[in-house]
Amino acid sequence: MLPIPALPFSPKAAAVDALLRSTSLVWRGHGTAAAPSVATGHVSLDRLLPGHGWPVGAVTELVPDTSGIGELRLLMPALRRIACDEGRPVVLVGPPHIPYAPALYRAGLPLRRLIWLQPSSETETQWAAEQTLRAGIAGAVLMWTDTRADLALRRLQLAAEEGQSIAFVYRPPRALRNPSPAAVRLALRPATRALRIDVLKARGGQGGSVLCPLRSAC
Amino acid sequence: MLYLCTSLPQLPLESRCPPTEDPVAIAERSGARRWLVACNDACRGAGIHIGMDATTALALYPSLRLIERSSPHEREAIKGLAAWAEQFSHWVCFDPERLLLWIEIKSGLRYFGGVGEIRSRVEHGLAQLGHVGFIGIGPTLEAAALLSQVPEAPMIERQTQLAASLDKLPLAAMALADDLLEAFTDLGLSSVGQVLVLPRDATARRYGPELLDYLDRLTGRLRDPRKPYRAPDKYRRRFELLGSVEVVEGLLFPLRRMFVELQGYLIARDTAVAQVQIELLHDEGEPTLLRIRTTRPLRDAVRLFALVKERLERTTLGRPVEEIVLYVERFEALGDTQLELIDSGRRKDQGWHELLDRLRARLGDSAVQELGLQDQHLPEQAWCTVGESDGGTEPIPERPMWVLQPRRIRTLPKRFGKPERIEAGWWNGEDKRRDYHTVAAADGSQLWVYHDADSDSWYLHGLWG
Repeated sequence: MLPIPALPFSPKAAAVDALLRSTSLVWRGHGTAAAPSVATGHVSLDRLLPGHGWPVGAVTELVPDTSGIGELRLLMPALRRIACDEGRPVVLVGPPHIPYAPALYRAGLPLRRLIWLQPSSETETQWAAEQTLRAGIAGAVLMWTDTRADLALRRLQLAAEEGQSIAFVYRPPRALRNPSPAAVRLALRPATRALRIDVLKARGGQGGSVLCPLRSAC
Repeated sequence: MLYLCTSLPQLPLESRCPPTEDPVAIAERSGARRWLVACNDACRGAGIHIGMDATTALALYPSLRLIERSSPHEREAIKGLAAWAEQFSHWVCFDPERLLLWIEIKSGLRYFGGVGEIRSRVEHGLAQLGHVGFIGIGPTLEAAALLSQVPEAPMIERQTQLAASLDKLPLAAMALADDLLEAFTDLGLSSVGQVLVLPRDATARRYGPELLDYLDRLTGRLRDPRKPYRAPDKYRRRFELLGSVEVVEGLLFPLRRMFVELQGYLIARDTAVAQVQIELLHDEGEPTLLRIRTTRPLRDAVRLFALVKERLERTTLGRPVEEIVLYVERFEALGDTQLELIDSGRRKDQGWHELLDRLRARLGDSAVQELGLQDQHLPEQAWCTVGESDGGTEPIPERPMWVLQPRRIRTLPKRFGKPERIEAGWWNGEDKRRDYHTVAAADGSQLWVYHDADSDSWYLHGLWG
């Protein structure tokens, strides 16, 4: 069992945040970048993210406590938009379990726009995700990795920028011990019928914590 | 008729050995003498040239690699080239002894946009294939062949110009036996025109009817009996490597050439491939088989070669390779995706298929899956990994995002909600009765578990991801 990381958004940080918010003398760079984004489908989460949604052409790092807490359902509204409205494929690279087609279909994803890659090694996973992002055809690439290398994420960032697609990178909790080069970094924790999301980093957005209700599952 | 003839003087070498920095030459034995018939650029630097005695050449450069000339290899190479050349004309033929390849170009003039255009396409193609070729264009097969032997030769388009144009060309360019050439030279003849004006009867009596026959075919008085070559309907190309090759890089040059040839063959038939097979033969043991599948039918040599290269880089050659065989057994109609005028949507589509091909080539076919539905009750049978789903009409009940291989669990966490009963298989004797529950694990994750009525035990089957 991995040690549970320190509470990501500490009360101290919240206090500082509140203080900064109370004054207009400090310019914090919020809302400056009108970066392209895809709405998350959760209004309260959108508010915290740069461009009010998942940033396009950038890496969003997701760090769930464990799997089976709604970490995939969180993305469904955005993936639906990408696959149905934009008609761009969605690619899963190296998921930890079998992505269950009936559930994905039920969530409104057209299965013909979905590709599941299961590379046999970390290097291949990295390669496949990069190639797919760079090609710029897939609207989103979801990748599961336990790499510790910063470089890997930076390369993904460049590839996502080049292909103007969204890279969602799922990493294990121990990744939180180190800073991240990703544009957005979220820690995901279980909650009753919901997902507790701590925005640890949001380039051009604001930090904070939000509870996202989840459809389906008890 | 108008023929384009390519003379391939370096074919003895090109059919055996990829370009190399080291001096390599092909030797042929005639009588007691062994002499060089082809050599590469590196030889010239070492002072070795065609026609040189093999012993002299070895004395000049002891590490010179000498290879015996092999007509089966040359034949295989020129056949491959003829298959490639069919893209320019339905009428192609070759002479493996004289190392000549003819293409009838009159019928395609309008399509290709003129003689100059065809000529430059052929030249470009030969360079792409790594062949040295000299081109002659004339209204008869022998005239074209003769012109291909003369540097900077004029092009002769009309039969009526033929005699006048051949007039001044050197005697040595004619396809005559050595002793005959010598005899004419002794007579003081030096040009083609001088041979053509010799009295016919006397010539036939003195030098045999073959000479007259050749002269008549040259000037078009007599029809050339050569028949066109037609490549077989199943494509198969062998390349025997010179010595065994242990590294993948050594296979790339011949493979690239094979794919350029294949592309010509495919263009000629207006078809494409979705699967090619490459066999790498070893000295002993089973051959290594590479099967390249593409999402869409393809004919582009560069793309096919890139896929093979990707695959080869992931392949470890257990044993040295002696020979490469490329097969194509099935051909597919080429979609219109590779036409030059395509809109951006289609181009995107094409990019997507190219990406999938690349992923498949490197990760393996089984690592790239599409998901589909199946109209089955048991959750593990309700999905599949093929493109199209056959289910989807029935409303799907709530299902978890992740499924696992059912795993038996001993301690059961608190369960909530009503169970969902799934029964299946009673009609074929594989009766299954399961009650599915959603339960919360200690770490906060939600599990999809079932109770199996038969064994009275609990299994973990999914995660609500």
